[in-house]
Amino acid sequence: MYKMIEQLKNIWQRRELLHYIVKFQMKAENKNKVLGFVWSFLDPLLLCLTYIVLVHYIFGRGGPQFPILLFIALISWRWFASSLNRSVTSITSKVMLIQSVRFPLAILPLSGIIIGFFDWLFGFVILVPMLFIFEASFTVNVLWLPVLLLIEFIGIVGACLIFAVVGTYLADLGNIIRFVIRLCFYLSPILWAVEEGRIPERLHTLYMLCNPFAGLLESYKNVLIRGMPPSEYAIVGTVVACVAFLIGLWYFSRNEYRLVKVI
Amino acid sequence: MVKVDDLGIKFKMEKRRRSRALVFLLERSRKRQQSDREFWALRHVSFTVERGETLGIIGSNGSGKSTLLRVIAGVYPPDEGKVSVSGEVSTLFSLGTGFNMELSGRDNIYLNGIMIGLTKNQIDGIIDVIIEFAELGEFIDLPVRIYSSGMRARLGFAIAMHSDKDIVLIDEIMGAGDAAFRQKADAEMDRIMGERTVLLVSHSMATIEKHANRVIWLNKGVIAGMGEPKEVIEQYLAASKVKKPPPDLD
Repeated sequence: MYKMIEQLKNIWQRRELLHYIVKFQMKAENKNKVLGFVWSFLDPLLLCLTYIVLVHYIFGRGGPQFPILLFIALISWRWFASSLNRSVTSITSKVMLIQSVRFPLAILPLSGIIIGFFDWLFGFVILVPMLFIFEASFTVNVLWLPVLLLIEFIGIVGACLIFAVVGTYLADLGNIIRFVIRLCFYLSPILWAVEEGRIPERLHTLYMLCNPFAGLLESYKNVLIRGMPPSEYAIVGTVVACVAFLIGLWYFSRNEYRLVKVI
Repeated sequence: MVKVDDLGIKFKMEKRRRSRALVFLLERSRKRQQSDREFWALRHVSFTVERGETLGIIGSNGSGKSTLLRVIAGVYPPDEGKVSVSGEVSTLFSLGTGFNMELSGRDNIYLNGIMIGLTKNQIDGIIDVIIEFAELGEFIDLPVRIYSSGMRARLGFAIAMHSDKDIVLIDEIMGAGDAAFRQKADAEMDRIMGERTVLLVSHSMATIEKHANRVIWLNKGVIAGMGEPKEVIEQYLAASKVKKPPPDLD
């Protein structure tokens, strides 16, 4: 417990380092591209378009508001997926740095999560005009959005801290995680809605209880598009996120020094 | 001041990363096996470096010199013994290994400066001196990827020297750069000597002899000799069965 608080304190003390790692990482990633930062907007848009072609035109499903329902779920999922993918190699890709200077290693997976959040924000900028075009109901429930983001952030941090440690020992994790993430993507209500999916009605409750992401994704759709309060199943996501956060922080703090020696 | 007391650093011998995965799983499922072969990268190492002193560290490849610097930088916690460091440590990114290749030299100065604990304002204050010292000219705004190894080394050296930290760690970097830069680097070393505590790792005996007040000779992780630079270097060269000191490029 003491170690975990110490860990958070150390990270807070080096927040300027975190800030610069994020800033320069984003700069380096876009530097050689002709379109540069424009890609941050184009990426989610093009991704969304491909799925609209698939679901709307090929499968002939999805209602009139499908594009925005898909878009908000997609960018929120992408934040989780890209952070997790980055975290697996976050330690092993910075060997030289880690061996040169002492700093809280958790900053490395954290920087990936923050970069992922900026991607979410870029996507959100695209989403806002779409909300008007597709006539989303705009109510006071929008104020829930920061809370949902915080829950997701806490969960992502927990998961990434765990995977950063395991990924350092187990290089194969990168391959495994890519498939697991893909599978979970199809199992979550992103391309489809729970009501019109193939899950029998009597199992809906069970499904929402078992998939911590389902309640969270439905909540995003509720507060932004349907003008409703968050889904009650967001509680599941909140509990899972908090548990993952505590386990992740504990596991990472316990292994931090060991990691330095195995890289 | 740096005080090292009976320091031991232990590594596990593992073949390759792929098999490390198995080791990891086995370790978790069974009880931890003692069959893991361990080796001590450093053991029973004790010495003190007073403020203002320059300590040279010599030894063959794999003798534990870089590991020792990393322990003092706080990267590895000691498995045995104690290390106490009073003052802030500046790590020299040896040969610019900590640089992000896609970013410009200027951005890398900020990144490295923040890494070693400077604030943005502090870096703003010294960045012109660093650029001037590293002699990078207009290259400073081009990506480090296109720099020559000498240019990278010069930049790394310039950052460490101007960071105003009490303890400076230098890992085999004086040899990089051309003759003119080496003279400048030597002068810079002379300037900070006496003011700051320096730990200098080098394979160039001329560099060590010129700058060190005292020398430690590491052999397979233990101190094989310690004392006056001339004497220890002689012992080291004799043990390495080198008749003459290797010709230096100076």
